Amino acid sequence: MEVKLQVENEILDKIKHTFHSAEVSIPRKQRVEVKLRNDLIHPFLAYLKDTLGFKHLSHISTVDWLEEKEIELVYIVMNYDNLVEVIAKIRLDREKPEIPTLREFWPQVETYEREIHEMYGVNFLGHGNLTDFILEDWEGIPPMRRDFDTVKYAKETYFNRPGREDAQDVRTTITKKSGEEIPELAKVYSVRHLE
Amino acid sequence: MREKETTIYLGPQHPGITGNMMVKLKVTGDTIVRAETHVGYLHRAFEKLMEARTWLQCFPIVCRICVPEPDPNEENLSRVIEEIEGREVPERAKYIRVLVLELSRLATYLLWMGGQSGSMGLYTMPQWTVGDRDYILDLFEQLTGGRVYHMYIWPGGVRRDIPEGFGDKVLKVMDYLEKRLKDYDDLLFNNALFYKRAKGVGVIDKNKAQEWGVVGAPLRGCGIKHDVRIDEPYEVYDKLNFIVPTYEGGDVWARAMVRRQEFEQSISIVRQVIENMPGGDFYNKIPNPLNWRVPPGDAYVKTESARGEFGYYAVSDGSLKPRRVHARGPAYVHGVSLLERILQGANIADVSFIMNSLGTCPPEIER
Repeated sequence: MEVKLQVENEILDKIKHTFHSAEVSIPRKQRVEVKLRNDLIHPFLAYLKDTLGFKHLSHISTVDWLEEKEIELVYIVMNYDNLVEVIAKIRLDREKPEIPTLREFWPQVETYEREIHEMYGVNFLGHGNLTDFILEDWEGIPPMRRDFDTVKYAKETYFNRPGREDAQDVRTTITKKSGEEIPELAKVYSVRHLE
Repeated sequence: MREKETTIYLGPQHPGITGNMMVKLKVTGDTIVRAETHVGYLHRAFEKLMEARTWLQCFPIVCRICVPEPDPNEENLSRVIEEIEGREVPERAKYIRVLVLELSRLATYLLWMGGQSGSMGLYTMPQWTVGDRDYILDLFEQLTGGRVYHMYIWPGGVRRDIPEGFGDKVLKVMDYLEKRLKDYDDLLFNNALFYKRAKGVGVIDKNKAQEWGVVGAPLRGCGIKHDVRIDEPYEVYDKLNFIVPTYEGGDVWARAMVRRQEFEQSISIVRQVIENMPGGDFYNKIPNPLNWRVPPGDAYVKTESARGEFGYYAVSDGSLKPRRVHARGPAYVHGVSLLERILQGANIADVSFIMNSLGTCPPEIER
């Protein structure tokens, strides 16, 4: 196993040597995971891109850790030469998530940051174009946050079309129309039952 | 005299793409000065919906992320769960998954050929290819029960075994498609009109391609050999023989020729899979899906879809439902930042043409 993970270990050593506070691990072949301090993400990605040759940004993802009051940003970058992917993670304060933009690194970052700003309310300082991306004129808490209640929003915003005011289960309608019985199992194990 | 700048709104419905997306064009004469993508017509909040469902209930959702090519989504989500959980997949299931993925690639390329030639006014091609794609959909129907959305690949393997005599049917369709490829060559790929129309249009700078996030056929059309199936072999791709074609130029023509060569490679992969299909189990049973807790952890997996690197990043917190599932489609980059860039200086008539060759798929951008 040791021989197979040679490239990964080399990258791990280089990162550890340059960024002492980073927690680096190798979850599997072709993956290196790095947990960083917030203020280090810029120098870290610059180091990866310019010095270690990680040119391809696979994506930027966001995870809302509601219980821990943190928002996690996950940057996945790849090196085309040794085919290793680095997963870099930082955690921002959920109340006031702010971080300088990475727009100058990769052009596609602009789109990612616009979406994350819209969906999670993360403010990217210096981005300059944090306008609406998918939603239009959205007010209230950003919709992808864990405390946003989708069902409540749908009930408040949308209305039933005439004839469906009672908002009954679609299966009840089918039963009424066709006379077909719903199996007991399906009644018990509905999505609502799980919640 | 300075030419007046005019704004044109192309879309949300137009022939360039499968789905709805608007491109706002600033033009002088018929040359585009600036392009701006507007999305939001197809947002169905899939990623949010998945957070409120059990892991297995996510499967009917993910395949809807891309209409022409739903299978990489299912395969990715299955594999990301398997990686977090450490679940083994039987060898036979892996072969069946490759079979499904390659058939899906062929179906997508057929649809793309139709779109690509349709957007330059060659309407015979879509009639042929969409008809031929139906033979593959027939195979899918027999295998999975569904024509477009399959929900067939799931954690631990596949939903059911391949039916009796299915291999022969697949080989028959492959023989037919191979024979048919000659007609496609005559009508599209060797057509001087297509060459003249596509050469030098929608050029991606080779030196910048990797940095701009270009993947899949557009990247190989720049002469850069990169394919997830080779770079990070998943399922059984490391046991199969195929080549990764590249073309120089970075234009629509190069991308088309890459796909044309890959079409042949996919046919060959399907034949190899049928020939080498091992026996045994096709499913490593998961526990009761309604009470199935995936251990805490996260993983990122990727697949080479017909349009490029398709990745899933999933996080589990040990509960019944996913904490986060993020789908990374190639169109997220191709359809927004890259498209806006390479449309500058292009002709209005080429917008749909270029969008098609990049494989723009709006549902993947909005998810």
